[in-house]
Amino acid sequence: MDDIKLRDMSKPFSKQLIELQNLMPLPAPYDQPGMEPALKPTKDTWKETYCTSVDGIVANDKLIKPKTKEEEQEMIKKFLSGLDKLFSDDTNRGFLKPFMLGVDYCAKCNTCSEACHIYKASGEKEIYRPIFRSEVFRKMYKRHKMGRSLLSQFAGGDIDINIESIMRLGELAYRCNLCRRCAQTCPLGLDNALITREIRALFSMELGMAPVALHEKGTMLQLKAGSSTGINKAAFLDLIEFMEEDIEDRIGRRYKIPVDKKGADILLIHNAGEYVTWPENPAAFVILFEEAGLDWTLSSELIGYDSVNYGIWYDDSQAKKIALAQRKAAKDLGVRRIVIGECGHAHRAASVSSDRMAVGEDNVPRESCFPILWEIVKNKVIDFDPSRNNFPVTLHDPCNIVRSMGIVQPQRQIVKALCPQFREMSPCGVNNYCCGGGSGFAVMNNQNFREWEAMVASRMKFKQILEAFKDTVADPGIVKYVCAPCSNCKGAMRDVLEHYQATAKFNVQYAGIVELMVNAMTKNDRPFFEFLED
Amino acid sequence: MFLTLFSYLAIILFIGFSVYKAIQFAKMPLSNRWELYPVPKEPGARAHYGGSYYEDLEWWQKPRHVSHAGEIIEMLKEMLFIKILFVNQQRLWWISYSLHLGIYLLGLWTVLLLAGAVTELAGHSSLQMMSNTSIWAGLVYYAALTAGAAGAVLISIGSLGLFLKRLFNSTMSKYTTLQEYFNLLFIFAVAVSGLVVWSGDPGFNYGREIMKGLLTFSPIKADIALAVHILLLGALLIYIPQTKMSHYVGKYFSFHKVLWDNEPNLRNSSMEERVKSNLSYKPRTSWSAPHINPGSSTPADK
Repeated sequence: MDDIKLRDMSKPFSKQLIELQNLMPLPAPYDQPGMEPALKPTKDTWKETYCTSVDGIVANDKLIKPKTKEEEQEMIKKFLSGLDKLFSDDTNRGFLKPFMLGVDYCAKCNTCSEACHIYKASGEKEIYRPIFRSEVFRKMYKRHKMGRSLLSQFAGGDIDINIESIMRLGELAYRCNLCRRCAQTCPLGLDNALITREIRALFSMELGMAPVALHEKGTMLQLKAGSSTGINKAAFLDLIEFMEEDIEDRIGRRYKIPVDKKGADILLIHNAGEYVTWPENPAAFVILFEEAGLDWTLSSELIGYDSVNYGIWYDDSQAKKIALAQRKAAKDLGVRRIVIGECGHAHRAASVSSDRMAVGEDNVPRESCFPILWEIVKNKVIDFDPSRNNFPVTLHDPCNIVRSMGIVQPQRQIVKALCPQFREMSPCGVNNYCCGGGSGFAVMNNQNFREWEAMVASRMKFKQILEAFKDTVADPGIVKYVCAPCSNCKGAMRDVLEHYQATAKFNVQYAGIVELMVNAMTKNDRPFFEFLED
Repeated sequence: MFLTLFSYLAIILFIGFSVYKAIQFAKMPLSNRWELYPVPKEPGARAHYGGSYYEDLEWWQKPRHVSHAGEIIEMLKEMLFIKILFVNQQRLWWISYSLHLGIYLLGLWTVLLLAGAVTELAGHSSLQMMSNTSIWAGLVYYAALTAGAAGAVLISIGSLGLFLKRLFNSTMSKYTTLQEYFNLLFIFAVAVSGLVVWSGDPGFNYGREIMKGLLTFSPIKADIALAVHILLLGALLIYIPQTKMSHYVGKYFSFHKVLWDNEPNLRNSSMEERVKSNLSYKPRTSWSAPHINPGSSTPADK
């Protein structure tokens, strides 16, 4: 099975390129027989509809097999026109330079493979090498531009452009977390993650084929309703009211949460998924910001209450629309700065990815929450008692915040200051491994993709967690806390800990950083974490 | 005279095509930011642990410190030693570095041959240079001898070593195209033809003769072996910028203009002017998916 050739990408759909077997072994206690849940078989109906012939998994549920020859030809035609658009300074202005560099200069030294958590965790499956996808794409482009000539074969244009290779490429674009760890090791400074992202962009922007969770129920819903969760303004205001009550129930104090406060210093924007899935996180922000006496507000205006921007993972057009709508919400409120809550891709989307998309009044400064939170701890603005967090804690570094933004120390300093049993994962900081939920995987729950996410994409992170807690992991009486200061990373933690029943069996918990801070507040007379209550 | 003209043409085309390639990348539209940490131009410890100005409270209010020294040092480490490959794949580094160090030494050798040719034109014969009657002439002679010999051997080992590695390593062979094998063999052929010529003239006198011919625009005297070497080398110089072997251009842009470009778009900054100009661009065509701009009917509307 390992003898996969690049040309196999254009073989008939009946050939599945790999089987997901012999994955990277996990450390104790998951080194025992029966600890690895079996992957469910691929359903025949999926095989008929989607492209399951890569590895039996379906990620892109809009990548549907054409039913007629005409549809097939149309799809091929659009793929080729999209290819041309990726290489045009008219239609791919934002990424042309880094993209062309990546396509033109790869030396095929394969240094990137060793850095890739998916390749390593899969048991080194050929198709998951960062270079595999890029090289297939490169060969298809050469075939498109140079035809079947001898010169084309000589230059590497030796993969047929047919419906099989196109669909496999579109599906394979969702086997990379875009974490960019591979790019750190490239001697030529090239980025396979960017090429992957561009393939996704081609399929979305030209063929209209992006996973439903990212597009229809993601960016499209966000632009229409205000949030990818579907929460509209009225629902958001209800949630805020509920949160005020919930905070009072938890800590015995009530705070009036500022919403749409004109001219506030800070507009705080959370990943709206927090309100639904982990409401204790925005609640902890309320407690900390109010106790610290900050002049802040939330927005209830369209998109102003949801920091997510799935567009940065797959579609330039959607990314820009959302980024500008978030700036507008801030500008309309007249705030001085936007502060992004604990969400990695939202950090990067607002601060870095969209930095060159607005000027003048629209160019509202954007800031991470972590320097503010560290100031609160460092300057003792609030009294904390670290002994309240006296359980093993490790810190996950979200790729978008660390590797792609350079925010490494503030969150680390907070955890070091407030958690006596803090221990780093290895590697950490800018050399971290992705949680496995990056680039949208944590929100994609279609067919069997979540199983793949947990078993393969998050496997390296799970291994790191087990190793960080190796002294106590087998003892369910001891709480082990993975601090994941990012919504999508938390989603990945949820998925992998559930998949391996690590919370139920070994008391491995996960949440963000503000929850740890509030749990350590001396002013509170009971733990903020439910799992600490008897 | 043909060899003199061909040598001129090869040098001019090598430089011309390389510059053209650099201009093509430089003229591309302002990219969205795609930096990757560590960024060596971040000051102090941040360059090492991968921090940035985003770690500062209200970062946009603070003066921005850029460590040009840090950027240059990191660039030199990469240029001179291929540091990233050394750190991440040392076994390949030995072969790759052999090739690259050979190229650098032959670059130095070329400069020394030029200096030797000028010295000879100024009145010192090869014999005088070799017998060390003038310190300068002797230095140039022996330095050229050392650099040329070491460079030729290293480049031969490196190019052949990489060729064999790509051929027999099952993973690398999967991804290596015929052109990439050809490129390495081409370099190896040039190196071997150079070694053949050198074996008949260990003092590289032929090299200084070529340089003198180029400096005085006079015919290069060459036997068949030297003629073949000049033709192969010239062809390689013309060919390199057309291929990925021109990564000396690409690498500058991938690091300095992509991975290390974390210049923020601050209000009233020169970057904001560039962004403004970039945003004013009106595309002639558009992507085709329905959501890109629903309701528009012509590309111009989009």
